[in-house]
Amino acid sequence: MTAARPVLDAPGTDGAAASSPRLIPYVPVLLFAPCFIIYAVLFIWPQLSLLATSFVDGNQWSVAHYQRFLGDGYYWELLGRTLFLGVITTVITLVLGLPVAYLLARMQSRWAGFLLVITTFPLLVSAVVRSFGWMVLFFRDGLVSKLVVALGLASPPFQLMYTMSGVVIALAQVLLPLMVLTLYGVFRSIDRDLELAAMSLGARPSLALWLVTLRLARGGILAGSLLVFSLAISTFATPSLVGGARAHVMSTAIYEQTIELLNWPFAAALSSILLVFVLVLALVYGRVLEGRGQTEARP
Amino acid sequence: MTIDLKSPFGALLLALTIIAFCYLLLPILVIVVAPLGSTGYLSFPPQSLTLKWYQAALNDTRYVGSFLTSLKVATITAIVSTVIGILAAHGLTRYEFRGRKFIEALFLSPLILPTLVLAVGLSIFFSRTGLLTGTARLAASHVIVCTPYVIRVSLPVFQRFDRTLEEAAQNLGATPLQSFLMVLLPVVRPAIIAGAVMAFITSFDEVVLALFLAEPSAPTLPVTIYSAVQLGFDPSVAAVSGLLVLLTMALMVIYHIFGAVRD
Repeated sequence: MTAARPVLDAPGTDGAAASSPRLIPYVPVLLFAPCFIIYAVLFIWPQLSLLATSFVDGNQWSVAHYQRFLGDGYYWELLGRTLFLGVITTVITLVLGLPVAYLLARMQSRWAGFLLVITTFPLLVSAVVRSFGWMVLFFRDGLVSKLVVALGLASPPFQLMYTMSGVVIALAQVLLPLMVLTLYGVFRSIDRDLELAAMSLGARPSLALWLVTLRLARGGILAGSLLVFSLAISTFATPSLVGGARAHVMSTAIYEQTIELLNWPFAAALSSILLVFVLVLALVYGRVLEGRGQTEARP
Repeated sequence: MTIDLKSPFGALLLALTIIAFCYLLLPILVIVVAPLGSTGYLSFPPQSLTLKWYQAALNDTRYVGSFLTSLKVATITAIVSTVIGILAAHGLTRYEFRGRKFIEALFLSPLILPTLVLAVGLSIFFSRTGLLTGTARLAASHVIVCTPYVIRVSLPVFQRFDRTLEEAAQNLGATPLQSFLMVLLPVVRPAIIAGAVMAFITSFDEVVLALFLAEPSAPTLPVTIYSAVQLGFDPSVAAVSGLLVLLTMALMVIYHIFGAVRD
């Protein structure tokens, strides 16, 4: 940093010329260096060795692990169940997140800030702790399991523990704050006068929302959905604690292959497959955000 | 409010919002309240009230020990990721050069990577290279997860920073280092604090990397809770989790009061 340019020792020199920062290429390099070295060693290298490991069988290169995945109906079902979990979780967080984010964004009282903090608070509590809370409610004597039986949705010896329904309920709660925060930002950026204009021209409030606000917010809605979906298919703590071995998804299957079965190459192949899905979603997400930036930039 | 909450449509929105808030807060309420029950198993709502499980949690060396491990890992992680993140954010906003967009995308990319995939990769990597030992492995791994948060929070603030302030300082005789430390840093301080707090909380709460990389003899608190929960429902585990929730709540209140005073 200090090497970038000499100290200004002559106060009389022309201010503009003397003070314009000279772009010496090694200064940004020095600023990045610590971050870049740590990333190269602990991020790029391990991820490349993960990919390499997935192509090793015994002592030679092979695609055996991928063949095993593709050739076994169990893993197709696993992948399908994982994607299904992602879809359902996204739908639930949208249904609850849209009204919450909309009301928070349009509220004109000092409560709005407080409610936003309440919404973010669960994000600060470890997913392990939040899942544990659901487990207390999901066991046979738990409040929610009893409620399900009382509503006649299931017959008595019933518990939500170790079921996909339980995983969905818990996971949607874990990811809801992220959806609300994304949508809140989008709704705040949409001028409420547009809604008022639509209503003054005779649209019912629900129609005005549908025609104006949701149309304008669709980029943000897509972005929030991709974010939640991508986390829902890859997160580990909640499916592992609530679903356990009886409701396997990709992440819990990967964990089982490593710590329990010690089949690291197959775990690496499963991880790479999951990674492909997440990366594709991230690329779409990037495109969506870019597109939004361009439309907003237009006058 | 553009929508009348007393109209049927407004009432529907309001009802969904109330349901959403109950849904968001229910498991957290359960984990704080359930260990107050005097029964040997967890139930919600609790039968009769007692503080004995909370006391048991505070007296259990297992929990206290792993709390201290988590504190240590999160502190190291927060310091390292804040320092390297701030330097990188400064470099990204101060200088225009080829490949800047690429470097920025690279530095933010761990945000989209599933932690589990990162953990599998790092386990393979550490067992092959034998690099680092003990708690340092976990802290180093957490740095990869936490640095992107620091960069993401500080980038917009660094971008908004008025460069003429630095130039003015340098015209008055400050070295670039002095103007960085005495002009830039004080202005962007709120972003630095927010980034450091986020890095600390993310590391403290993180369980997947910790499951793979923490030393078996010194697990972090989330790992201890994760393992204990799977073995059975000892109310003192819930009490530890409840304490964690209350602590987070207290820190958040302090942060907001502190932030409000400064603004």
